[in-house]
Amino acid sequence: MSLLDIHNLNVRFGGRDAPPVVEGLDLSIDAGEVLAIVGESGSGKSVTMMALMGLIDHPGIVTADQMQFLGHDLLTIRGRKRRQLIGKDMAMVFQDPMTALNPAYTVGYQIEEVLRQHLNLKGSAARKRALELLERVEIPAAESRLDAYPHQLSGGMSQRVAIAMAIAGEPRLLIADEPTTALDVTIQAQIMDLLLALQRDQGMALILITHDLAVVAETARDVCVMYAGQAVEKGHIPTLFDAPAHPYTEALLAAIPEQGQGERLATLPGIVPGRYDRPTGCLLAPRCPYVQNRCQKRPALEPYDRGAVRCFFPRNMAPGEAPSVSAEHRLEVGGHHYAH
Amino acid sequence: MPTEHSADPVLTARDLTRHYHVSRGLFKGDAVVRALNGVSFELYPGQTLAVVGESGCGKSTLARALTLIEEPTSGSLQIGGREVAGASRADRAQLRRDVQMVFQNPYASLNPRQKIGDQLAEPLIINTSLSRSERREHVQEMMRQVGLRPEHYQRYPHMFSGGQRQRIALARAMMLTPKVLIADEPTSALDVSIQAQVLNLFKDLQEEFGTAYVFISHNLAVVRHVADQVLVMYLGKPAEMGPRDKLYERPLHPYTQALLSATPSLRPAPDKPRIKIQGELPNPLSPPSGCVFNTRCPHATEHCRQEEPALREVDGRQVACHYAERFVEGGEISIAS
Repeated sequence: MSLLDIHNLNVRFGGRDAPPVVEGLDLSIDAGEVLAIVGESGSGKSVTMMALMGLIDHPGIVTADQMQFLGHDLLTIRGRKRRQLIGKDMAMVFQDPMTALNPAYTVGYQIEEVLRQHLNLKGSAARKRALELLERVEIPAAESRLDAYPHQLSGGMSQRVAIAMAIAGEPRLLIADEPTTALDVTIQAQIMDLLLALQRDQGMALILITHDLAVVAETARDVCVMYAGQAVEKGHIPTLFDAPAHPYTEALLAAIPEQGQGERLATLPGIVPGRYDRPTGCLLAPRCPYVQNRCQKRPALEPYDRGAVRCFFPRNMAPGEAPSVSAEHRLEVGGHHYAH
Repeated sequence: MPTEHSADPVLTARDLTRHYHVSRGLFKGDAVVRALNGVSFELYPGQTLAVVGESGCGKSTLARALTLIEEPTSGSLQIGGREVAGASRADRAQLRRDVQMVFQNPYASLNPRQKIGDQLAEPLIINTSLSRSERREHVQEMMRQVGLRPEHYQRYPHMFSGGQRQRIALARAMMLTPKVLIADEPTSALDVSIQAQVLNLFKDLQEEFGTAYVFISHNLAVVRHVADQVLVMYLGKPAEMGPRDKLYERPLHPYTQALLSATPSLRPAPDKPRIKIQGELPNPLSPPSGCVFNTRCPHATEHCRQEEPALREVDGRQVACHYAERFVEGGEISIAS
């Protein structure tokens, strides 16, 4: 059994009939794996992780056929049991380290708080462990930083502290939501290296959420591309980038100004559909250069040799490789749901 | 610097320097932050100069000096051949028309309570004597050029997406057909696919109007796409400046090398050297002695800690490193101290 298993996850805001922000998402990750979830704003990647962490409050509605983590059902687990699990076995690092830390408490206090809550460490034992954690995330002069307040730290240092807090409970799964987006490029490389080293050394599973395909290329092996709340393609690096199957993945790659010959960049016309103008058919259809009549139906995510793709007319297929994608018939009702 | 330019430079900076005095409390004297130190360049019509560097390197101070928002502490700035320092009030007003700016955050740079059409017409009201109908005509024409529809004239900024807002901001900056456009991280708030649309628009407008761009960015992939010349800055000082391909193919300053090596790539070469630079930017209130990069440089020697390297010409570009020559041949990156 996988460490994390999600089947048919749906998240809505504003009632049961509201358009979904995350729609029919299946996700699983094993211990020691790195999974990258890629997408632009509004693709639902952050909301998915908030649903996992139980951070979606009323009026958000989370439903799923299955949401298992370490054998616990995340949909039904409540109260004390939930608090023991979240923040210890599953922890998260957020995008903006300046707002993730509490400005009113010292760095040491905030790390010790995690240790007190989850590992029942107190006093000098907690302080000693907090110091070890700061050294583990390679903060120079760690001893003196314990008594520093967040405003005395740079962005990169703050992100290291946030990572120290996240790994304090020795989590089995670490979720990093755009962990380097707010940082400068040399610091970005340092933080990515640190996250991957921690992942390897501690055998954690790591879910990396990002909009930056180049970061994905250098860190992950398994990738899930999301668009407007749906997973549109799953696959592995580097085949996914060499021969993208979904037109959206193809367009994303073409839009990156990496080759830099100075010519025009390929673009997708228009923007991601909003809540109230979701197409009834394939969600990419209004922007897709390959759109055909059949695209007025909603394609299902269909597995094939190299991954899975949600498109009736996938790109870059070897002869005989293309999956036969059928229209989606999955019902969105059923499953448990929780609303706080 | 390439010499085969038919026209004169539209923007010439010589030793542009800007210092700030910062109070350190009641009993200590003021400290001086050297936010911008000795930056010189020439910019020709239709060309793009990209300014690269991390936070605190002086990119935005440079933008403020170039747009006449702030007076430089010393050094000279010429716009279209005319010296800015000592210009009369009327001259400065004219000079300001020639340099316009596009900001990073399109959600903050547009007035939320003013219609798009009125925002675009405002530069014309202030700077020209066009009639109402002529202004409207100009605005409609510019809106067409940046890919906005005529009905957008009556709308407010909140009705637009980030990419469209950046188009509006760009249209507003281009209303007076400036000679120079300063763009401060114009696409870093945008998604990849939207960024591509906006970068294409920048390119189209440059071809149409022959505007010179100063393109400030921390994204080296974007810079490689747009730039003719690249200026790499570190702690307020130019580290390396020269033609784009020279810098990208063989960076001579260790900081440029580190920046390029830290930039993730879609197809990472397996033998790509990963130059790790340690630590973070030093405190600008007390910059290190000698070369400002010596605290993080993997090649730093005693010489670097004592003597500041001058910006000099090496292999077709300017570079401020004592050991730049040794990087020209490649391979040899070990420096005996």
